[in-house]
Amino acid sequence: MPKGLKDGPFPTHYEPLESPVSNELYSHDTNPAEQWFARQENRFAPPGDPRFPYVLTTYRLTEHHTAGGMSRFLSHLAKLQPEMFAEISPELATQHKINNADYICVVTLRGAIEARALVSRRIRPLALNGKTVHQVALPYHYGTAGLVRGGAANDLLTISGEPNVTIMEAKALTCNIVPGRLPRGPAFAEFLNKYAPQTGPTILHPEERSFRKGQSGGGHAHEGKTWM
Amino acid sequence: MIGEGTQSTNQRRHNYLQENVEVGFFTDPTVCIGCKACEVACKEWNEVPDDGFTWLGNSYDNTGHLGASTWRHVLFLEQDRQKGSQIVSSHSLGSGDGEDPFRWVFLSDVCKHCEEAGCLEACPTGAIVRTEVGSVLVQNDVCNGCGYCVVSCPFGVIDRRPQPLPDAGGAFKCTFCYDRQKSGLPPACAKVCPTESIVFGRLDDLRARATQRVQQLREHGYADAQLYDPIDTSVRGTHAFFLILGEPEAYGLPPKPQVPTIHLKSAWTAAFATAIGALIATLCAFAFL
Repeated sequence: MPKGLKDGPFPTHYEPLESPVSNELYSHDTNPAEQWFARQENRFAPPGDPRFPYVLTTYRLTEHHTAGGMSRFLSHLAKLQPEMFAEISPELATQHKINNADYICVVTLRGAIEARALVSRRIRPLALNGKTVHQVALPYHYGTAGLVRGGAANDLLTISGEPNVTIMEAKALTCNIVPGRLPRGPAFAEFLNKYAPQTGPTILHPEERSFRKGQSGGGHAHEGKTWM
Repeated sequence: MIGEGTQSTNQRRHNYLQENVEVGFFTDPTVCIGCKACEVACKEWNEVPDDGFTWLGNSYDNTGHLGASTWRHVLFLEQDRQKGSQIVSSHSLGSGDGEDPFRWVFLSDVCKHCEEAGCLEACPTGAIVRTEVGSVLVQNDVCNGCGYCVVSCPFGVIDRRPQPLPDAGGAFKCTFCYDRQKSGLPPACAKVCPTESIVFGRLDDLRARATQRVQQLREHGYADAQLYDPIDTSVRGTHAFFLILGEPEAYGLPPKPQVPTIHLKSAWTAAFATAIGALIATLCAFAFL
């Protein structure tokens, strides 16, 4: 038996902190040992939030390294994957009237980025509790500097901590997509407020109360501006 | 075969150049993982300049095709077909029940180094030569940039480098890493290929290996596995041949490549006949004056 695991010893299933569905196994949706960092800019959409109906996942490409800080500056690597894209299924593309290579915006409760749509059958919709849930897949190698630039997937993520290694949940979140280019400047704030209202409920995490009843929280998880 | 690891000829030092042994590439897409290490290694070793940053929206392929500044190109093919004994998903939205096959195939394309090379035959300056190991080499210091080779290549491999890139105007293509081979080293792309999808070695060894591999794949359910090695065409075989799943057209490979020089005889005959005809017509015109 592995010793020292904070959420062991046996594997089980909990939903991610943001999920389109509730947990079918337990009354508790998410891993009770998980740390979440609650503050106004780091809000989580509740399970099944109709504003964010799609599953968002991030992944890496062989051509880039980590967030691209090195590979975006090397021409031989950068030219092989030169622009931020979002992979979606043909079904989702048809639903939103998106063509391959069109610009789309990916929106979560934390932010919005622009990406080119890469429509592929490799991305398959999920069948969850008899419901079809579409997926949006983003590489996370782009940023504002280098030979190639693009939206940073990190802008969309929540800040949370897996119990053992304190890495944020970047592989399963919920999002929405909006066809078209992302507005810049003051129009961006308006856009973001429209699709992800920046004035949210005081409960920043769906399971905040039941989970940490009577506790002040641990570690640096609760040093957020709005946490009291 | 698979599992041979570093025991294959990809990693060994060799003496092929001194021994005048014909060498080649055998490329097998069934083990290719689409990492593009061959593209990067080729550009690194040969100091090929970058030729722009364009996202193509064609699967993970942002190179497009071979050219003056792309000597290795990994092709990404998404097809609604079954791959080998792959378990076919039945979950399909919209199309209802039934099987819904899908496969993603990668193939690293390269100059074929033809036995009868169109570029070499068209080159008026002698810049394109046949090397000791059977490969076709463009000597850039001799090339005058006329571009005859570009239209003579049956595979569309060779191209002239546009401004403002270094050495613009001249024709470029894969050199089979002739400089590395002089030192007994395998070409850069084969050396870095992590799955040995690209195998470098003696041409006769590779042909035997390729035949064996096709056999092996067919036994494992890859009914559409075949070898692309156009020996029966006017190209008379290549020094870079490919195992492909399905038809060559899907990979941008001509099913029957032709060296343009096979049309020389008929073209000259036609030109000669026309000249004679024109002469007779002129004489007739004067005869009836």
